[in-house]
Parts: sequence; C-alpha cells; structure tokens
Amino acid sequence: MQSEKKRDTMLQTEDNRSTNQVKKETSNVYKVDKLNLWYGKDQALKDITLDIPEKTVTAIIGPSGCGKSTFIKTLNRLTEMVPIVKTSGEVYYRDNNIFNKKFSVEKLRTKVGMVFQKPNPFPKSIYENVVYGPRIHGIKDKKVLDEIVERSLKDAALWDEVKDRLKENAFGLSGGQQQRLCIARCLAIEPDVLLMDEPTSALDPISTLKIEELVQELKKKYSIIIVTHNMQQAGRISDRTAFFLNGEVVEYDDTSNIFSSPQDQRTEDYVSGRFG
Amino acid sequence: MNVRSTYEQELASLQDEVFNLGKEVIQTFERAMELLDKGKGHLLQDIIDYDKVINKKELEIHDKATLMIAKQQPVATDLRTTIVALKISSDLERVGDLSIDIIKASRRMTAFQPEHKIEEMREMASIAVSMLDRALSAYKHKDLMTAQQIAVLDDKVDAKYKMFVRGLFAMSIEQNEIENIAQLAFIGRYIERIADYATNLAEWIVYEQNGQHFDLN
Repeated sequence: MQSEKKRDTMLQTEDNRSTNQVKKETSNVYKVDKLNLWYGKDQALKDITLDIPEKTVTAIIGPSGCGKSTFIKTLNRLTEMVPIVKTSGEVYYRDNNIFNKKFSVEKLRTKVGMVFQKPNPFPKSIYENVVYGPRIHGIKDKKVLDEIVERSLKDAALWDEVKDRLKENAFGLSGGQQQRLCIARCLAIEPDVLLMDEPTSALDPISTLKIEELVQELKKKYSIIIVTHNMQQAGRISDRTAFFLNGEVVEYDDTSNIFSSPQDQRTEDYVSGRFG
Repeated sequence: MNVRSTYEQELASLQDEVFNLGKEVIQTFERAMELLDKGKGHLLQDIIDYDKVINKKELEIHDKATLMIAKQQPVATDLRTTIVALKISSDLERVGDLSIDIIKASRRMTAFQPEHKIEEMREMASIAVSMLDRALSAYKHKDLMTAQQIAVLDDKVDAKYKMFVRGLFAMSIEQNEIENIAQLAFIGRYIERIADYATNLAEWIVYEQNGQHFDLN
C-alpha cells in the first residue's frame, strides 16, 4: 500500500522546495522586497524579492547583462552614484531600510564591504592599505593599528606571506595577493557583510582556489554575497544560489538543488552550459 | 548555435551503449533459461564466454562516463544522465552474472526435472524479461509511465516466487530430491533477483528524469 502511494507520487513533478524566502531558523542579513531599478528608461532589475541569510555564502549567477552586478551594488547603495538610476521597492539591511534618508550610507558601507573583479589596492604600502579605513574612522593609536593589520591580514590568509614586508608597496604583490589585500582592507573595519563582484575572474587557478578557501573561512564570521561567472566556483563555495536572467530572479534555492535538480528549465540550461 | 553539441552527442552515444548492453544481457538471460532444457547443453560455454564480453562492455561504459565527468564537469540533468548510465550498466552486468548463476545451477541438477516447477520458473522469467525490456525502452524514451508499470510487474514476480518456494517446501517433504530441489530454489531466487534489478533500473530512470529517489521494490 505504501509502495503504491509512493508510485502514485512518483510522476508528480510539483515541487514546493524552491522559495525565495529562507525558512531556516537563521537571521537574514538582507531582505529585498520588490526591488526594481532603471538606468534611464532601461529596467535592469525587475521585482527582485529574496532574503539573504547571515553567515552563509550566497552566489549570484547569470549571463552578462542580467543585473547581478547591479543587484549587489544596490546592496550598499553604489548604484545611486550613477545619476540616471531610479529605484523602487525596499532593501532592508538588518531590518533597516537602506533607502531611508535617515539611514546613513557611510554607516551602511562600514558594515558592508566590497571586493571588485580587478584587485584595486591603493598606491601605498601594504600596511597603509589595511589601516586606511580604520584611520578614516579616527583610530590613531599605532598599537591598535598594528593589531588591526595583523588580524585583518591573518583573516585574509595573507599575513604569513607579507608580514616581513608590510612597508613595501602593495603593487609589488601578485594579483592573487593584491586581491587578498583588498579583502583584508575590507575586514579592517570589521564589516558584517562582504560583497564580492567576480573576485577571482582576473586570477590564476591557484590564486582562485586560495580565495575560495578563504571565503569558506570568512563565512564563519561574515555574510558573503558573491557574483561569479564560474559555475563550478558557485557550486563549490556557496550555500545558496540565485540565478538572475534579464533582471529577474529565475530561481533561488540551496546551491545543491540548483546544481543537481533545478526547477526551472532556464536555470538548468544555464548551469549546464547551454547558454550564457 | 548549440554550444554543447559535441558533449550532447557523447552523452547520447553513452546512453546507446547502455541500451545495447541491456539488449545483450536480456539475450543472455533468455538463453540461460533455454538451458533448463537439457538438450541445449552445447550452448553452455558460448554463454559463459559471452558474459565476459558483457563485463568488458560494462567497464568501457564506466571508463567513458568517468572521463566525461572529468572533462565536462556535468551538472543537473547532464550529471544525473551520466551517473544513471553508470548505475544502470552495473545493474545490467549483475543481471548477466545472475544468468550465469542460473546456468550453473541448472547444470548441477540431475535428471530430476519437475515439469510444473520448470514451467513456473519460465513464467517468472518471462515477466522478468518483459520488465527488463520495458526498462530499456523507458530508459531510451525517458518514459516515466513505463517505469512505473515495471514496479507493478515486480509485485507479480514476487507473488509467483512466494508460491514457487512454498511448492518446493511441499515437494521436499514428498520426494527424496533435496539437492535438486535446492538448485531449483536457487534458480527461482536468481530470477526473482533479476526482476529486482529491473525494478532498480526503473528507479534510476525516475531519478534521471526528476532527480528524486523512489523505492519501488
């Protein structure tokens, strides 16, 4: 009888697994509700609604021009620096509406750091790169700054490689080391969230794997949202994956589901390399 | 332009090889059942030799699928298709082995050939062949309905096997043919196991199509 029941349900493809709302008992670091964004007349984001859980890695995947970079830039209000940008809908960071005029953008960006595709250290020493943020926040005590440098570089898995040459120019580092320095620079101001926009696309395979390992370590302390073109990377390092297409979220689910049995044919076609 | 056309051709060719392996395994099973008729003993070595070819083909499928995983890093349906090719080919190879076990058991039997028991085994085997045939067809045509019917047929084989064994118990009391009756019990069991493997194939076909595991046994 039981097996007959199983067989009856075998052919049903209905699935209520996929949801944009995270049901687990974890807090959400972001809650995005019906976010729309236009560059002039062109709509880049359409009704994006999703929750991003804390202390997890959330991957944003999708073909070029699908809105994934625009989306993560919106999360720390970088998009509003483009004059023609208009938005509607709400984005809550830790229950604060980031578009609310009373919510300071400086405070948001202190809590939400960003790492870009191409490593962009300042033309200064390794040490000065790391202490740049803390200095802006008024920390002057050399001992405190030294501690911040050591902690940040250790957290970014760079300390052992640079501890004897902290005063050297950051441009002397390899591309992978420069990218980890940029991560250390973010960590120096003790953020809550790290946004990463294709952080390994300019790096060699070993540097890429180092960053991936680092991300696994960092998620114990930070919430990480990463845009990547590398499907295997999203599969390896993320807990949740959102697939964007033409400015919409087609599917948002546990990464294991997205890469083993996605619910939407467009997701299937994208992750299996049929387009994009 | 389909950017994955070469890979898709490789996948299709892998599935064809699994399908062809299945057809050959079914043939081996049918010929093993023919050997229950003592007059066809000359076929024995042919079939045992052919099982070695089947084993080799199964390993070729295994190597090909492993290489495709390494080179193409498949995900989603592509990954399930590759994994299912591996699982189905190894289940089919087991069916081939069980067919050889049937032959060996039948060779160990002396002149004692209770016709009604042989007939019961042939009926079970006929359903098991039909299950394997349908499983291969469902595999080729990605047909979940047919996969579901296989599970129903397995229930029939199980019921017949139960009756068959019960009959053997009764015979063992009436007749002094314990060794031969034990061989008959073995053969019945091998056929029943082959039907179970056919059901496994159906389960893998469901998994390939919708990514969910169902216990149909």
